Amino acid sequence: MASASTSSSSSGLTFKLHPLVILNISDHYTRVKSQSLTVHVSSSSNGAAAPPPPPRIFGCVIGVQKGRTVEIFNSFELLYDDSTNSFDRLFLEKKQELYKKVFPNFYILGWYSTGTDAQESDMQIHKALMDINESPVYVLLNPAINHTHKDLPVTIYESELHVIDGIPQLMFVRSSYNIETVEAERISVDHVAHLKPSDGGSAATQLAAHLTGIHSAIKMLNSRIKVLQYYLLSMRTGDIPYENSLVRQVSSLLRRLPAIESGKFQDDFLMEYNDTLLVTYLAMITNCSSAMNELVNKFNTAYDRHIRRGGRTAFI
Amino acid sequence: MESSSSTSASIAQKTWELENNIVDMEATPPSQSIDSIYYYDEAAQTKFQKDKPWTNDPHYFKRVRISALALLKMVVHARSGGTIEVMGLMQGKTDGDAIIVMDAFALPVEGTETRVNAQADAYEYMVDYSQTNKQAGRLENVVGWYHSHPGYGCWLSGIDVSTQMLNQQFQEPFLAVVIDPTRTVSAGKVEIGAFRTYPDGYKPPDDPVSEYQTIPLNKIEDFGVHCRQYYSLDITYFKSALDCRLLDLLWNKYWVNTLSSSPLLGNRDYVAGQISDLAEKLEQAENQLHTRLGSIIMPAQRKKEEDSPLAKISRDSSKITVEQVHGLMSQVIKDVLFNSVHHSITNATRAETTGPEPMVET
Repeated sequence: MASASTSSSSSGLTFKLHPLVILNISDHYTRVKSQSLTVHVSSSSNGAAAPPPPPRIFGCVIGVQKGRTVEIFNSFELLYDDSTNSFDRLFLEKKQELYKKVFPNFYILGWYSTGTDAQESDMQIHKALMDINESPVYVLLNPAINHTHKDLPVTIYESELHVIDGIPQLMFVRSSYNIETVEAERISVDHVAHLKPSDGGSAATQLAAHLTGIHSAIKMLNSRIKVLQYYLLSMRTGDIPYENSLVRQVSSLLRRLPAIESGKFQDDFLMEYNDTLLVTYLAMITNCSSAMNELVNKFNTAYDRHIRRGGRTAFI
Repeated sequence: MESSSSTSASIAQKTWELENNIVDMEATPPSQSIDSIYYYDEAAQTKFQKDKPWTNDPHYFKRVRISALALLKMVVHARSGGTIEVMGLMQGKTDGDAIIVMDAFALPVEGTETRVNAQADAYEYMVDYSQTNKQAGRLENVVGWYHSHPGYGCWLSGIDVSTQMLNQQFQEPFLAVVIDPTRTVSAGKVEIGAFRTYPDGYKPPDDPVSEYQTIPLNKIEDFGVHCRQYYSLDITYFKSALDCRLLDLLWNKYWVNTLSSSPLLGNRDYVAGQISDLAEKLEQAENQLHTRLGSIIMPAQRKKEEDSPLAKISRDSSKITVEQVHGLMSQVIKDVLFNSVHHSITNATRAETTGPEPMVET
């Protein structure tokens, strides 16, 4: 394939992808698929035709570019025009205008589609977007559910100009990306991913949930470190060729520990700690006085009866 | 390692689903049936619109089902507003006594810190947006609106009630959703509520007020006056087969964020506000107590219709404390994990020259 190369990009851009975009594409795909499937079933009830292949979907990704960092925040659907092999321009402009009103900081960064790999015809669509964003990105989601794969089926492509046989050609190149979440986004992803009870439950279950979250994250960290360690070990025994750049990366990673080691941090940390203890203390006092108040109330109630029977004096 | 963690997670999920009687759509193996909820049946919806089964029973809609996408969109939008209220609309359909929310979109509305209201240009925007969306294959109609209450809980204020009442007269079925992004971050779980108002003049059965909520002192009056004019609906969530798979895989990418985030840092203002609010409430409770002690003859007459103010305050303070302690716990764990490795590092580097097992820290 001429246009889709597997080499990684050299533009030096950092891509940050928000989970919302992935879910948005996934939803778009599922929606279109279920709609077309049901239509097909109802129309071909008499004939035994094979189900049509799931349609490709197209859309636009929007976000912010700051310096060398591209952050993809959101996305919206686009209409694909078969006759011109590109997007419905009027529709795109309309959508862009609508989104501009709500998210004034977001710009069109590129487009998305579904499929297993970048296709020849995709370059045309890609080029068509270049008057809006001079170097658009192409987010590709592979909707086929494959349980052996452990990686997200999402690829981000950039285009690069290469000279092949004396003719300059645009090619898709793969870029690496990170998943970026804001705190609220992380919580809601957790929420829908693990179907947490929405009312939160008692303090004990909340604590358990909190600690389980941290535990699984640390477990993940541990497994990653084990991979590194295994790699280094087999490099030492000579099973794998020695790779200086990787070893340098590992070494710089290790240099980072301890993460923060200064008196200032210790002070701040201690203050934070004590603040929390103070809050706990205040809450305890409130609890105690509430219990005390309850007790006095009960005592008075009990005592009132004694008065009627000719009992003792009031307790205040 | 990954498989063991995922099995334990799936067991936890199963137990939770059993405990909460989740109608498990994922139990049916073929993937098409899971996603059947994504199919929009226009004829059935039109019929439902004509029948108007909700006109006879003001309590007709009892459940809300929200898609993962809609939830994520709403929470992210609400959070992006900061301390300003934002609003948007939800698209979806109905299914028996349930309203299904498929998608949501934001409206260009300028809110303030305490109120948000749609103006004429917002309506124009709404029409424009729905039309373009229909072209792009999103066939559902608008079934409700959402807005945020940053920091003061999920309930409907007086203005919200009148907005919702108006919409329920002319745009049925219509649903109101409130999200508190500040508390979501503070508590580490999504704070969301779905409401419908009763028609004017309807006297709701005198059932206990749905769920206990922490409401700041300056809002209590607004809450108290209107809290009997609406009821809340049960919320459940759903996701497609592809969503499930993607969300599972997403964890492999973003577990770092769990470790790198700190709820203590982001929520200082909120916590300080909560504590000062508690202090004010305490003062108020103290004043009440004084007047009550003055007339000690009749303390028992004040029958406990509900919890005493002091008990409420103690519950609020426990809640905020639990959240604080959680935040601190993660900080301490991180400190142990990343900062107290100095000695083991030096040991490890020494060991690296001799032993076969470098950098083992537990």
